[in-house]
Amino acid sequence: MDLKVLKNKPSWPFETIGVAIAFSPRLEMLLAEAKRLSELFSAKLILIHVGKKSASLEADLQVIITKLGFIEGTYTPIWKEGHPVDTILHVCKDNAVDLLIAGAVERESMLRFYIGSVSREICRKAKCSVLMLTEPSIAGTVFKNIVVNGVEHPKTRHTLGTVLYFAQKEKADRVTLVREIHMPAMAMSSAESGTEADKLKQELIEEETAGLHDLLQQVDSGTMKIGVESVFGKTGHAIASYAKQQGADLLVINSTDHHLTILDRLFTHDIEFILADLPCNLLIVHSRVEGELNKLSH
Amino acid sequence: MSSLNHTDLMMLLLAISAMLLLSRAAAEIAMRFKMPGVIGEILVGIVLGPTILGSFFPDLSKAIFPQEGQSAIALDGIVKISVVMLLFVAGLEVQIPLVLKQGRLAVYTSLTSMLFPFVTGFAVAWFFPEFFLVSDGESKLLFALFLGTALAISALPVIARILMDLKIMRTQVGMLIMASAMFNDLVGWLIFSFILSMMGKDPSRMNVGYSILLILGFGLFMLIIGKRIIDRALPWIQTKLSWPGGVLSICLGVCFLFAAITESMHIHAILGAFIAGIAFGDSVNLHERAREIIHQFVTNIFAPLFFVSIGLKLNFLAYFDIWMVLVVLVLAFVGKVAGASIGAYWGGLSRRNSLAVGFGMNARGVMEIILATLALNAGLIGEKMFVALVVMALVTSLTSGPLMKRFID
Repeated sequence: MDLKVLKNKPSWPFETIGVAIAFSPRLEMLLAEAKRLSELFSAKLILIHVGKKSASLEADLQVIITKLGFIEGTYTPIWKEGHPVDTILHVCKDNAVDLLIAGAVERESMLRFYIGSVSREICRKAKCSVLMLTEPSIAGTVFKNIVVNGVEHPKTRHTLGTVLYFAQKEKADRVTLVREIHMPAMAMSSAESGTEADKLKQELIEEETAGLHDLLQQVDSGTMKIGVESVFGKTGHAIASYAKQQGADLLVINSTDHHLTILDRLFTHDIEFILADLPCNLLIVHSRVEGELNKLSH
Repeated sequence: MSSLNHTDLMMLLLAISAMLLLSRAAAEIAMRFKMPGVIGEILVGIVLGPTILGSFFPDLSKAIFPQEGQSAIALDGIVKISVVMLLFVAGLEVQIPLVLKQGRLAVYTSLTSMLFPFVTGFAVAWFFPEFFLVSDGESKLLFALFLGTALAISALPVIARILMDLKIMRTQVGMLIMASAMFNDLVGWLIFSFILSMMGKDPSRMNVGYSILLILGFGLFMLIIGKRIIDRALPWIQTKLSWPGGVLSICLGVCFLFAAITESMHIHAILGAFIAGIAFGDSVNLHERAREIIHQFVTNIFAPLFFVSIGLKLNFLAYFDIWMVLVVLVLAFVGKVAGASIGAYWGGLSRRNSLAVGFGMNARGVMEIILATLALNAGLIGEKMFVALVVMALVTSLTSGPLMKRFID
């Protein structure tokens, strides 16, 4: 694979979908989801398993594939040995995967969260978009109510474009673009005048809502109706709470800009709030259009 | 159990009443002129204390604010509790994740805005102790550490206010200043706690490593384990207990508990209160309304008592040393503005925005005044140095906004 292909490749359409599989009780559900999505997006499907290949495991996989009605030639199983996260991401890179699907529990134990599970580490490190499914099912998860993070960032336009592509294919009922407003020390600096703080909050909401409308004008939303909302709170946590309250099926965010370490988990912020307690299925959009991002950020 | 007699109680109530009523009036006037309310509060103390009222009507000043006796002790206790609560609310707004989130730029700016003024202050105090009326020996080292720390800290409340007024809080420059100021405050108060823990000890018996370990150990334990416990408990506290009484009582109860623990460890009560504030403030489960109520309660009741009490302590005119004030001002401006600007520039900001960051972080405000008061009470600094630091805190706070505005793109 010519890796130059990956550079500046837009985050949509999804031409190649990868699914990270482990021989767990949820394997069949996860494969059913991957099959449905690959058909929906007319994408090639790659089944990635990290572990020793054996005849019995191959047979087990074949049984499920047959049961789910996979058509020969529409999927490629890849067996690799090595560090699970690094190997999966390496396979994704080599195969120019646009979307990697993985299963994840909503909440992990504290120790597991700090150490870093495979699914969470994929979210932190992936150089392609990642879809984390909290409750995969044979029937397939429907994504009717989608919440998108409308953070002021050059990547957001690409994320929004990806969401619109996703939502149109999925025939979603509702897409809401949400901007979080975090004003550290606002309570402290306005303690002498509570009315002033309320006025400031109102001004901020109006300002941010106008910013979201501006952002919407930069993308072609077609017939899709997109709602806008501004919420107060710490970034990451506020949108996760909003998605939970609204009963969203899918929360969509930008991929991170920084390499995340255990410190980011100890002093939780942004994406780590979401990963600590997944409010619903999560789509992390990775924008690869470097040139355009640089242009936008200046 | 001994208690205040009728006269002492009356005098105490009268003193508190005068402090609250006059400071409110003065704060309102100051705010009308777009100045921080704290300036009015400090001026009330200067007017009521030995500087003005004490000079012209010494008997009246002593009658309302006696320097000795039961009511004086009671008032001192209230002021000390006020300081503990002020440090608690200061901690409430320190968010370590914000520094991590800002990445390399915040790391550079935080470190240089801390190191430059610290090294400048330490070096000047170390090589010219006689100028600051400090003798050689143990006190020279502690004073040098103190001056470095005093120049290195920032005033989060003033900075936040300036950024909001300029409407740049949510910009890259605004968030960078906030993150760096939080880092400066956190490290500054840790160092200051260490200095206070060393005060009055025989130099030969000083166990520096033990003190540092104790402070860092306490801080890390409370910020990692304690914070998680608080985070888990807050939803229950805010839903099962009466609102807002329940959360207010628990927050302040834990604040005083942490303060008592650090005081018992011979560190100083302020560190415990500050760390408790961070542990509560960093929790996403603390309702914004609860945070506002705590701030309003402390800022409007206890903070005025503390800031008025500063002026009651000494005659500001008698201890006003113009040269010391100028030296402290120059050190404060040079160290902080240069340090923060260089860090921001290295981090990738433009020259003008880097200077805006430098001037933005130069505001010392109430944090400096609290630090100076604690140092004066501990015998670490003299009255002249105290007055110089208060003047520096006010000048840097008043000039920070206008200077920043000149440079920001």
